[in-house]
This record gives sequence, C-alpha cells and structure tokens, in this order.
Amino acid sequence: MDDIQLTEDEKDVLQELMNIAYGNATSVVAEMLDAFATLSIPKIKVIRTKELLEEFHSLKEDSYFFATQAFVGEFSGESAFFINNKSANNLSKHLELDNEDDLDDAILELTNVLTSSLTTKLAQEMGTAVKFSLPNISKVPLDEIEKNKTFRYYDQVIVIDTQLNFEDQKINGEIFILTKDGSIEWLKNQLNIILEALI
Amino acid sequence: MKYLVVDDSKLARLSLIKSLKAHKEDAEIFQAENGIEALELMKNHKPDLVFLDLTMPEMDGYEALPKLLAIDQKLNVIVVSADIQEQAKARVLNLGAKLHVQKPINLDKMKEILENF
Repeated sequence: MDDIQLTEDEKDVLQELMNIAYGNATSVVAEMLDAFATLSIPKIKVIRTKELLEEFHSLKEDSYFFATQAFVGEFSGESAFFINNKSANNLSKHLELDNEDDLDDAILELTNVLTSSLTTKLAQEMGTAVKFSLPNISKVPLDEIEKNKTFRYYDQVIVIDTQLNFEDQKINGEIFILTKDGSIEWLKNQLNIILEALI
Repeated sequence: MKYLVVDDSKLARLSLIKSLKAHKEDAEIFQAENGIEALELMKNHKPDLVFLDLTMPEMDGYEALPKLLAIDQKLNVIVVSADIQEQAKARVLNLGAKLHVQKPINLDKMKEILENF
C-alpha cells in the first residue's frame, strides 16, 4: 500500500473538527468530575502501525491504565486512552475512592464517556455516524499493548493525539483516535468536501 | 464596520467569515492566526468587533483578550470557542468578553450577534 499523507489544509480541517468534538466531550467529563479541564491543540500525524506501537511502548512505562474502544461506520477505527499512575492516584483522591476495583471502574467510565462523545461528535461534524462494538470499552494490561490484535489490522494510521488536563486536580490523560487504512481515503475526501464548501 | 477574526484554524476562519459576509457583504475583515497577530492588527486597523478563539499557539485567547481591551476598552470581543465548560464561559466574561459562543457559528447565530453588536 502506498503511503497516504494529509495536506496542511486537510490537517487544519481535521484539527478544527477535533477541537470542536473535544470541546463537547470535555464539557461532559468536566461536569461528571465537577472540575475544569484545559483544552490543548490536537496533534495530527499519519504513521505506520510499527511507529504507533513504539509510541505506545514509551507511554506505558509510567501508565496506570490503557483502554481502547473500537468504532465502526464510514469512519472507523479505535480510540485509545492512557492515564498515568500519578493521575490515577489523584483521580482516586478526587472521587474519594478506597480500592483499586472502584478506581478501575471509574476510569473505564471516564474513558467510555470521553471517547464515545469525542468520536460521535467528530463523526457528526464529518456528516456521518459511528457505532461502537461490544464490549464498549476494555482495559488492556500494559504488558499486552503491543500484542493487541486489533492494531495488527492497520497498516497506516491517522493519529489524533490530545491531552485531557484537569490542572487543579493534577489529572492528565492522553487520547488517541486511530483511523484504519480504508477509512483514511474516506476521511480525506470528507475533509476536502468541507473545505471546498467554504472556498 | 471592521471585523477581526482570530483563530489558528483556516477552516474556522473561513467558516466564520462566510457567515459574516452572508449578513454583511461590505464588511472589512482582518484575519489573525494567534493573539500576537491579533494585537498587531488591532493597533493598525482598529476593528469594531473581534471574534476570538481561545485555544491557539503563541498567544491564546485568554492572554490576548485583556491585551486587546487594553488598546480599546470599548472594543466588543466575542469569544468563539469549542470549550463550552461553564468555567471557561465565566472566565472570558470576567476578562471582559461581551459573549461566549460555541463553535461553529451558524448563520442564525451570526445574525443574532450582528444585530446586537
């Protein structure tokens, strides 16, 4: 398969749509946690799966939790969420949880709400809809990230990387939206339709 | 009327300008990609109304807003942001923005804004 690249204009459109989607998702999570989140500018790149796994490998060293959620439709792929040890502890304190099971449940729910609202809104902005496969979201043991079979279905991925950041509570997370090979062409086409409508 | 549109995204600027021009065909519009460029344009062109994004590189909207108002205290600044958290809205209104509007601005919302400012 030939390398697919995004033009600067395509990246700009995707970044702005992601910004809108992330603003909505963050608002929901902020309300859940009764906290204020700082929004960051999403980083967008097209990379090979091997590079993605290397990036995940470097992130997992300090991670407490890694969760993924697959979505299907014209726009299909997978969202992934990392939360580090310090943030997990701070979340536990913020929610006054007293055991690891409750903390895992809370993080799964947080991830579910965050990534579902994010992906749903992003798809909506591109004029389509996504469905989530069951189980909705799953915790992946850190030493099994590279073995996760779903990543092997990809050749190239568009990575949209953004930070969840609750400054006062010192809770940070990193969210990735991974778009599969077949969806990349569809996505490029949609981004150009959106852009051309404005020019 | 002179308008200044401040957003790091070309899509966001084009989309907003399209809505603006649909209601104000003869609008004089200036564009900036961040707060620093906005301050330069503010000093040189004295716009009547500013549409300001919050999340931008170099200088974000939170930092740019009071600096724009320091140049012209009567300036009308509309914050246009994807950040719809209540605290974000309260913060920009407290800093002197006249309004906080969720992105993207549709034609009806733009009409409402232009009728009021």
